[in-house]
Amino acid sequence: MKDWIIALLAGGVTGVLSAWGVGGGSLLILFMTGVQGMDQPLSQGINLLYFLPTSLTALVSHLKNRLIDIKLALCAVAAGAVTTALSSLLATGLDTQVVRKIFGAFVVIIGITELFRKCPETRRPDEGTQDTTRE
Amino acid sequence: MLSDKAKSALAGAAAGVVNGFFGAGGGMVLVPLLIGWVKMDQRKAFASSVFIILPLCAVSAAVYLLRTEFDFLRALPYLIGGLAGGFIGGRIFGKVPTKLLHRIFGILLIIGGVRAIAS
Repeated sequence: MKDWIIALLAGGVTGVLSAWGVGGGSLLILFMTGVQGMDQPLSQGINLLYFLPTSLTALVSHLKNRLIDIKLALCAVAAGAVTTALSSLLATGLDTQVVRKIFGAFVVIIGITELFRKCPETRRPDEGTQDTTRE
Repeated sequence: MLSDKAKSALAGAAAGVVNGFFGAGGGMVLVPLLIGWVKMDQRKAFASSVFIILPLCAVSAAVYLLRTEFDFLRALPYLIGGLAGGFIGGRIFGKVPTKLLHRIFGILLIIGGVRAIAS
């Protein structure tokens, strides 16, 4: 039960971060593998799955506000669907420890860019990835 | 010179590689490319990246579910928490300074990443 509540809270906190565009997913994976001792593919699979409903709600408001460049986005989807299928096959075929180490290197790089990135003090609600319900 | 469509396709391909291999981080690759290379307006880039990443996640999630021993019971609390957090985060978006958050986030990623490499 305690584990369940911790997992719920971890999902909640990283969910809030994701909504603010602070890449909560990679942090959630680190938590699942590093703190909870879950294996890398399960953690990655959970994160992928959890992004589906979460982003769907954001997408509805973006579509309503006509914020999506559909033509260009569809080009990206077509190419990305192929590469993501191939890289998923690769990641699930490799030794999980190897994937974990490569993932570690990836997040260290992301972490360094986050430390030095320029960002505005506060963003207006109409600028971001979520809650664009008002015009 | 590449057309915008070709650039967008290449940006999507790069995001796909990251998204599938790491199960995360596709947007972190995609958004800067859409803004800096495809020259998309910042708001449109954020919104379009959600539109692009969603189907990519669906494809990757299907592969992970089919090819790994997926434990739905262990996944469930994270999924419920994430959904609630995403909803709350969306409601209070813009009311919190994100600069400090990005710095803390960066430090946590570096610590967690180094531990993962050393594991």
